[in-house]
Amino acid sequence: MHIILSPLSGAPIYEQIERQIVSAITCGELLQGSALPSIRLMAKELGVGIITVKRAYDDLCADGWCYSLQGKGVFVSGAGADVRQKFLREIKERVEELVRYAASGGVGRGKLLKMIGDEGGDSDERR
Amino acid sequence: MNAVEIRDLTIKNKDFKMDSLSLDIKKGCITGLVGKNGAGKTTLIRALTRQLRPQSGSILYDGKKFADHEVEILSEIACVFDGPHFPLGMKIKSLKSAFAALYPAFNGEMFEALCRKFSLPPNKRAASLSLGMQRKLCIVLALAQSPEILILDEPTAGVDPSDRAEIMSLLQDFMLDEGHTVFFSTHVTEDLDKIADYIVIMDGGRIIFNEDKVAISSSYRIVDLPELTDGVKRSALGVRRTAYGCSALVKNDGAYPDARIPTTEELFLYLTDGDGEGICGH
Repeated sequence: MHIILSPLSGAPIYEQIERQIVSAITCGELLQGSALPSIRLMAKELGVGIITVKRAYDDLCADGWCYSLQGKGVFVSGAGADVRQKFLREIKERVEELVRYAASGGVGRGKLLKMIGDEGGDSDERR
Repeated sequence: MNAVEIRDLTIKNKDFKMDSLSLDIKKGCITGLVGKNGAGKTTLIRALTRQLRPQSGSILYDGKKFADHEVEILSEIACVFDGPHFPLGMKIKSLKSAFAALYPAFNGEMFEALCRKFSLPPNKRAASLSLGMQRKLCIVLALAQSPEILILDEPTAGVDPSDRAEIMSLLQDFMLDEGHTVFFSTHVTEDLDKIADYIVIMDGGRIIFNEDKVAISSSYRIVDLPELTDGVKRSALGVRRTAYGCSALVKNDGAYPDARIPTTEELFLYLTDGDGEGICGH
């Protein structure tokens, strides 16, 4: 997981930490059940205050992205996996629609796949 | 929970007055103290470390009175002052044995490990070290006392940025234990922007500001304006003018979407030099 903090972004540091953890969860980089680093370790490694990280973790728990187990730490909940599932379902629906649309104009699967391949750019799927 | 509770502390001498100052230092957190020279930072630290007797008021350490638990409290506190508090002619290895004799909890292994980490050779004399190295040696000596509370008076004054970063990381290492507490005064406000949890600002022997970092980033803003409006003037906590406009420190009420979060330096400048009144967070 990468967390990059910018003092110039205008957003409070705790929000920047929150947002980047949420995005690591929704893109499947942090899986359900995995533990976040302890508050103090995260604070040290990011070079920020303890209260700042605590606020970020509290918000993540309040918003359902994570849950906290007394004395054990903070863990990723299933909410991220649900968002991920929904996202994948949406892509599947759009693909089905695209295949139908291409077929209606006589463009077959082979041609369509080639077009998707040629779209190029970022081909490194994360998960 | 409070590591230290200061109540109604009054210290007066011929050119300085601290009148009925109260402050809680939160356990498990880093509290940074800023203020102009002469604001009373060092006086407060000297009272905390029992080098100075207040005329009245009380200081509780972990809920305990100094008079009743003197030995226990002294063993839980380690201090770093703005200069070395040992003879500079001493070699580092003799400092180790001297401190081990003075402090029963002195951790010789930890001292040696930190000396290796910071390239402080055992046979060197403290006097032959650069200022930054001397500061690091003082902090290493304090940490090796295995304290619960670390109190530092300007630990990074005159220290270069890379040594400063190492010192800050050393303090954060110390904070990995949630029973530990750091209280330090500094003019290097960037250090506080990074690692402090609470910012306390002193002026004229009083505490004029005391907030945690999350509260600062949600409740305070700096607005830049071509000229001061009546509305801003009424609510401003501090104002600074330039030839081309002015800026004000205000409570964040959402009225200024372009406003930015103040840095520690800005809080300090606006509250101590600006036109506004000081505020106390609690």
